[in-house]
Amino acid sequence: MPVISDPARAAILSSVRSALGRGEDGSVPPVPASVRMPDRIPGTVDAEIGLLCEEIGKLGGHARRLTVADLGQVLDELICDEAIKKVTLWQTAEIKALGLAELLSERGVEIVSPYAGKGALAGCDLGVTGADMALPETGTLLLRSSAKRPRSTSLLPRVHLALVMPSAMRADLDEALAEAQDEGHFVLITGPSRTADIELTVTIGVHGPRALYVWVLER
Amino acid sequence: MGQTATHIDFRANVRAVEPQMPASVQKATNRFLGTRASVVGVFGEDRWQQLRQCGHDLRRHTIAHLDHYLELLEQRVTGAGGHVHWARDGAEANSIVLEIARKQGVRNAVKVKSMATEETGLNQALIEAGIATLETDLGEFIVQLAGVAPSHIIAPAVHLTKEGIADLFRQKLGVEAPAEPVALAAIARARLRKAFLAAEMGISGANFMVAETGTLVIVSNEGNGRMCTTLPPIHVALAGIDKVLPDMESLAVVLKLLPRSATGQKMTSYVSFIRGPSKSSKEGGPHELHLILLDNGRTRVLADEISRDTLLCIRCGVCLNVCPVYNHVGGHAYGSAYSGPIGSILTPQLLGVGIAGDLPFASTLCGACAEYCPVRIPIPEILVHLRRRVVEGDRVDGPAISPVVSAAAGAGAAALGTPWLYEFGSQALKVAGTPLSKEGWMAHLPPPASRWTDVRPMPAFGAGFRDWWRNRTPQGRRLLWRRRVLAGAAAAGAFAAIAAWRLTRKSGRD
Repeated sequence: MPVISDPARAAILSSVRSALGRGEDGSVPPVPASVRMPDRIPGTVDAEIGLLCEEIGKLGGHARRLTVADLGQVLDELICDEAIKKVTLWQTAEIKALGLAELLSERGVEIVSPYAGKGALAGCDLGVTGADMALPETGTLLLRSSAKRPRSTSLLPRVHLALVMPSAMRADLDEALAEAQDEGHFVLITGPSRTADIELTVTIGVHGPRALYVWVLER
Repeated sequence: MGQTATHIDFRANVRAVEPQMPASVQKATNRFLGTRASVVGVFGEDRWQQLRQCGHDLRRHTIAHLDHYLELLEQRVTGAGGHVHWARDGAEANSIVLEIARKQGVRNAVKVKSMATEETGLNQALIEAGIATLETDLGEFIVQLAGVAPSHIIAPAVHLTKEGIADLFRQKLGVEAPAEPVALAAIARARLRKAFLAAEMGISGANFMVAETGTLVIVSNEGNGRMCTTLPPIHVALAGIDKVLPDMESLAVVLKLLPRSATGQKMTSYVSFIRGPSKSSKEGGPHELHLILLDNGRTRVLADEISRDTLLCIRCGVCLNVCPVYNHVGGHAYGSAYSGPIGSILTPQLLGVGIAGDLPFASTLCGACAEYCPVRIPIPEILVHLRRRVVEGDRVDGPAISPVVSAAAGAGAAALGTPWLYEFGSQALKVAGTPLSKEGWMAHLPPPASRWTDVRPMPAFGAGFRDWWRNRTPQGRRLLWRRRVLAGAAAAGAFAAIAAWRLTRKSGRD
């Protein structure tokens, strides 16, 4: 639809301008400096990771720090605790490098492609992704989406596991958004899905994953 | 709920409020205020006030240059592959959605909670067009099943009990449901999951729209926001033109304000950032994105310099939580999509004072809303301004008070504020009123005071309090004694002066 010939558009913009008492041109001053808050000064990486895990724990998520060597054992626990039978994983370089698909197959878990249909993905017990950034102050993860990082992996399966590198820590939301702003799609994930709509009783696990596991992989 | 064309009779609505409404509403509002208080405490009170001011300033800046930011937003969304539509009113918005659905042969849709779509009555329009539309926000899903309107912006079903909801699920879903929130949520999850996977179109609002990048921002706790904007092949977003923000930095400010103010969370479980349709089928997500920018009276709000700040609102709902009126009547009494203090100022401006003229008066002007508002909207001032518009038929120019009334008020203030004038005045009134009083009451006064005495008698002026008060202490009694001596001396002096004058006159005549 050609933009110029849309009467609704013309009417609305002209209403806005006459309401503000201005003509069509006129330079727009930049957003005033008064809206900038001072940036948060982050602690040490170690402290930040600790804070991230703490905040995620408060939200009902399960966060822990581990090394690559621990992976096998920790996976055993997860498979047992959450009765994992089917998994879908991002096929990113980082996840491939960890050999997760192999580790899971060895434990008798069926691997479903992240590009399978919605129905198949919805039937998965576990979705494994990375996390591009982590915000310790609020226990938030930032996940970019792309062909290698499909959106549904962190959404449809019953449990979501996010693997985070220490280098993903960011001081605050401003920093994270500045870095991610040109992305076509990204999501901030803070804890598992929840609702309090029925008599204000907090229920964890509504439409999004019922459980969130965040593993910070340290050397 | 849709646009009401009939006058909203607030008093009648209040009389119709169910008896359990205040208790359930207050349960929600108290909870939200409690969690808000603790999370603001963690943030730091001073820092919070600074953040509120940032929010106010950036929203004002945005509204002051709304045309620029809307054009920029359109340019960026279109550049990212989205389609931008403009709707002057609710009917136009609904028909745009219907047209999109018709073109794609859509028969069923899933919806994320959106105040804008309630404003336009989109659900009704879709149902009439034969498109099955399911509300997916748990509270909205419940009230949709029940066929009632939401009672709170953030927790729509808060006025319903778990037993009521269990009955509802039994009746409408044919499912045996225990009256237990976790089980009820699980039933809703299963039912809605089927719908998410099968839906042909996802409909949402937008909490915010970032102009610089052309990004739609949708917050959600349940994950239905993500489901509706990721799974169906078409995504339609309807948002008021006041939802635009300049850039990501501004968004960071409001994203810090919104969850804390609304539910006392540091961040909602999910925040989706959507910039155009998905670029690859492997990524998943809709291949078609439509953004409908809705005016529906917002430019009229913009035109009034005093009440223009209504558009700063970020829809957190905290003003509802602190409002004594809202806490007593709940959301239905406000007769429209927006309730509480924000409803009292927004609805009359969107629907006109003819329809919603009761609402600016549905307030005690206690000012709690303005103290809590994260973007510092001066709600009480706007309420008073709108009351004037209601009384004077939307007139907004000229002095609000006539010069005569102003002068009288000024004189009254002077008389009451100057101690000797006050005492003199009260003694004078007592003396002047004596012939008119009988047994401590004045039954008839001359006009214009007769307007009072026509209805009830006026107590006689006693003017004795100060003397009575002074009599109670030694200093007071000494003061009274001094005054009597002075008065006596003055009287004696006056008497002597008059006597002397008469004597001189007399002697002069002799």
